[in-house]
Amino acid sequence: MARTLNMLEAINEALSQEMERDDRVFILGEDIGLSGGVFKVTDGLLDKFGEERVLDTPLAEGIIIAAAIGSSMMGLRPVPEIQFADFITPAVEQLVQQASKLRYRSAGGYSCPITVRICCGAGGGSGLYHSQENAAWFVHEPGLKVVLPSTAYDAKGMLLAAIRDPDPVLFFEHKSLYRQAKSEVPEGDYTVPIGPAAIRREGRDMTLLTYGFMTQKSLDAAEQMAQRGVEVEVVELRTLAPLDKEAILNSVRKTNKVLIVHEDKKTMGIGAELSAIISEEAFEDLDGPITRITGPDVPAIPFSPNLDKAWQVNTEKIVAGIEQLAAY
Amino acid sequence: MASKSNRAVLEPEAEKAGHSPELLLGLYRMLLKCRLCDEKARILFRQGKYKGNFYSGVGQEATEVGTAYGLRETDWIAPSHRDWTSNIIKGAPLKFCFAQLFAKVTSPDRGRSSPAHMGYPPLHVITPASSIAGQLNVGTGVALGIKKLGRDDIVVTYCGDGATSFGGFHEALNFAGVHKLPLLYVVQNNLWAESVPLRLQTALTNLSDRAKAYGFPGISVDGNDVLAVYASAQTAIARARAGEGPTLLECKTYRWYGHSEIDPAKYRSKEEVDAWKKRDPVATFEKKLMEQRVLTEAKKTEIAAQTTKEINEAVEFAEQSPYPEASELRDHIWA
Repeated sequence: MARTLNMLEAINEALSQEMERDDRVFILGEDIGLSGGVFKVTDGLLDKFGEERVLDTPLAEGIIIAAAIGSSMMGLRPVPEIQFADFITPAVEQLVQQASKLRYRSAGGYSCPITVRICCGAGGGSGLYHSQENAAWFVHEPGLKVVLPSTAYDAKGMLLAAIRDPDPVLFFEHKSLYRQAKSEVPEGDYTVPIGPAAIRREGRDMTLLTYGFMTQKSLDAAEQMAQRGVEVEVVELRTLAPLDKEAILNSVRKTNKVLIVHEDKKTMGIGAELSAIISEEAFEDLDGPITRITGPDVPAIPFSPNLDKAWQVNTEKIVAGIEQLAAY
Repeated sequence: MASKSNRAVLEPEAEKAGHSPELLLGLYRMLLKCRLCDEKARILFRQGKYKGNFYSGVGQEATEVGTAYGLRETDWIAPSHRDWTSNIIKGAPLKFCFAQLFAKVTSPDRGRSSPAHMGYPPLHVITPASSIAGQLNVGTGVALGIKKLGRDDIVVTYCGDGATSFGGFHEALNFAGVHKLPLLYVVQNNLWAESVPLRLQTALTNLSDRAKAYGFPGISVDGNDVLAVYASAQTAIARARAGEGPTLLECKTYRWYGHSEIDPAKYRSKEEVDAWKKRDPVATFEKKLMEQRVLTEAKKTEIAAQTTKEINEAVEFAEQSPYPEASELRDHIWA
């Protein structure tokens, strides 16, 4: 039976069901137990599973990830949480030098099936250090899978797929979607595979590539433009590494124009890589310049309301991008 | 208890224990094997037989042998770049150890890691990254896994004095203290972090004092006395297996050569190096065993000849092994 859940409830349910199903699964992180998480994503899990499987850790992101890596080498399935993506920096050493390279540097002798849950993204007034969407840092590192779901349905299914995946998976959760993203979510067990993109809206006039928090805003923009006769195909990537090149290129070959929308900064970002892939593999199919609507190249989202608002990609900015490309 | 064991124990504790001749000879055999393998690795590098670099542990053999000798197959070792020989002590076949230096397809990681960065998954030696103290963090995670699974295996991690200044060292030991994890953290204090002397690394005299901050015992020991190291390690390992938590064991020792084979180590005085060479951990133990008549001249010759033969066979295996094919480049990135 499916009921409507928000993303926060869907993630909580996925963790709870997987911990019940598989006693190798445990969660660890800052404030996840007694307090149930700063956004209450892990609420109730300590009562249900006890301290052995719901571990409140010291305030030290490096050892949170290292403890997960090492215990996964023993056959466990740890799901560490990074409370805010902004504070993942002390753990980059462990993610990039250890997790991404462990299988490679031991030629398959060791692996580390960990699922790192990372709360990210603009929250409206969260300021410089509680707002960053920095998934791109990790997409550059082969050996790490990176996912960023936008619906409650995908969040549950992809989290279950991530925990069961034999590789390290970085599972980015957008804080603005925790309560905004609501959808029907089956009560039972199901997975949404890591890798495939989803075509959220079909259209003939241009392909809009996006992911995460920008998905719904892009769909809203596409709806507005449909009323003006421009049919935009919205492709939600869902998984940033490995990329679903086939879905991307198939759509581009159909529509011949590409608009890329992401929340993160522009320079050397996900959009730059998507653009390069399309140029390399579908150059002949393009009828216009590959266009990017992204967060600005500003170090992080400033706190004061006008500055915060100016930073953010919204539906109006996306509509303007579609208009410009459609007119080309 | 913690305060008592935090004192610097510089007198060899082992004198009181009556060790069996089998154990003494076993330790000697392993010390000599490490010394001869390490010296061979240096010669091969200087002969241009393999590229990259080598981080010799000559002079520090008692820290390796004393802490890893007699570990179970199921115990874990987390080595750093200077602990290539810990693979040998754990029981990895010599031919694979030399194949590692040569980056041949027969090495455990099929030629991926730099020469001295060796792990051996079948015997739970963790393939090291070059990141300082990284092996302590991952090793601590393994110990968490061991505890969660209710096993009585342990993890031995190695680092130099330099790594104790790194933030990751603090995070690892702090976490292990909280959860009383089954670990032996070995610090090989050879007085120099590459070219930086200890006085510019820390205000401490005994690095074992750092353990006080984590709520578990820290012991300083003469790292050139294999019996002293062995006795301290055995106490710590028994503690870890019994679920009583980690121990920090500082072995005061010295590396005879540079940080690596391309480092002439001109920052150290000849007097300092010579003084430490007089305290050669292999020669002093050999002398002791000869005096105790556990070791005879004939036995000594036999052990050396047998070890040299083994090494030569291993080097031949490594030299004759092929390099990995370029087509392997993308293997083992994802499952």
